Amino acid sequence: MSKWNPTDRWRAFVVLSTICALIAFPADAFAHGVTAGDKGWIQEVSGVLLMPFAYLGAKHMVTGYDHLLFLLGVIFFLHRLRDVGLYVTLFAVGHSVTLIAGVLTEVKVNAYIIDAIIGFSVVYKALDNLGAFQRWFGFQPSTKAATLIFGLFHGFGLATKILDFEVSPDGLVQNLVAFNVGVEMGQLLALSAILIAMGYWRRTRSFGRHAYAANVWIMTAGFVLVGYQVTGYFLPDFI
Amino acid sequence: MKADDTPNAPGTSGSPATPDGTLPSSRALLRSTAIAIVSAAVILVTVVLPAEYGIDPTRIGSVIGLTRMGEIKARLAKEAAANDSADAAAAAAADREDSVATATTAIATATATVPAAIATAPGTSTNSHVERVELKAGEGKEIKLDMRKGARATFAWSTDRGVVNYDLHGDTLNAPDGDFHSYRKGVAVRADSGEIVAAFDGRHGWYWRNRTAEPLVVTLTTRGDYQSLRYVK
Repeated sequence: MSKWNPTDRWRAFVVLSTICALIAFPADAFAHGVTAGDKGWIQEVSGVLLMPFAYLGAKHMVTGYDHLLFLLGVIFFLHRLRDVGLYVTLFAVGHSVTLIAGVLTEVKVNAYIIDAIIGFSVVYKALDNLGAFQRWFGFQPSTKAATLIFGLFHGFGLATKILDFEVSPDGLVQNLVAFNVGVEMGQLLALSAILIAMGYWRRTRSFGRHAYAANVWIMTAGFVLVGYQVTGYFLPDFI
Repeated sequence: MKADDTPNAPGTSGSPATPDGTLPSSRALLRSTAIAIVSAAVILVTVVLPAEYGIDPTRIGSVIGLTRMGEIKARLAKEAAANDSADAAAAAAADREDSVATATTAIATATATVPAAIATAPGTSTNSHVERVELKAGEGKEIKLDMRKGARATFAWSTDRGVVNYDLHGDTLNAPDGDFHSYRKGVAVRADSGEIVAAFDGRHGWYWRNRTAEPLVVTLTTRGDYQSLRYVK
């Protein structure tokens, strides 16, 4: 348990760089992966366009660092594939409900507030992984319920982005379902990458020692997201 | 909750947070949370806020070259906000008219509003035109009126069949460096009518694009205080 052998060190390096690449790459693209180009395209079209909207959904998920961070937190200590499937399904059910309901009812919550809550979900999950709730409050809040409830907030975030796209009402429902299917496919893609990286990482002897630090790091990233969004909320021109 | 209800609950399956599988102490957790908050605050103040909003109290953002990006973003957001509020009134009017325009009686309604509007339109030089704009499938065309700041012109346009996307906007003669102002836009619209009040000296008019698979004709009627009407290449 004490010394690293060279193989361990090499593995840890590969795993850490993979995770960093996953998280740093989308940060380059900024602003949730929704570009002026996509928005411009959406404002030019109307009617049912299943594949393009599915693509946009997948793109949004794969480049959405807040969703990815939360997912990383959720599956951090899941060993069995069955559990991974269960939790990811809970998350998917949660965000699908609010994504579709939010767009169809045109309930537009301020994007900064929603994104700050999404940042908070990352902090919550990291603290959960650290055992903080057990230690501080003496019991473990249901991790399934938390995944479902935060899934609902993530879906509201997605809905706000779609409303911001100003999608044509013509073919809206079909396009929305296509977008949602794309979100799930993007989530599976991102998840496979995270799972492969985590699988290698867990096999290293250092995993136990670094798991604590990794969750503190996830919590830090969550706090950065919260601070970023809360500041935006208080700047009048950015609303 | 029970341990078996929460497969990833810390303390179950022998490990999570600490190497020996016990819960970390409350003091350690508080310390870690404090470290996370302080690290996040440092990252926010030195990197994220300068790069995103141009807020740079420590000057570190400008030293590492991020503040300029945030300042430009802040300026763009300010311009977008100003543009939005200028459009607010026009947009409200456009919403009302669009809902009328999408009805099948749109053409009659749109043309009927024009004479009424013209009667009340003031103007030093009054011009009027009726233009037929033929658009093949996928084609886009643009017509502009030369107008002085504050000049008014009423207009109505409609398609003979199908729908078009449009952008009613103005630019100064030396655009793109000069002013650009979008009065209103629409997707899949059959007809539109209203009044342009020129936001500045320049060319103000319509860009239409036919995104349908069939050719169509847009008929535009204009009347008001403008110098000339021209097709823009």
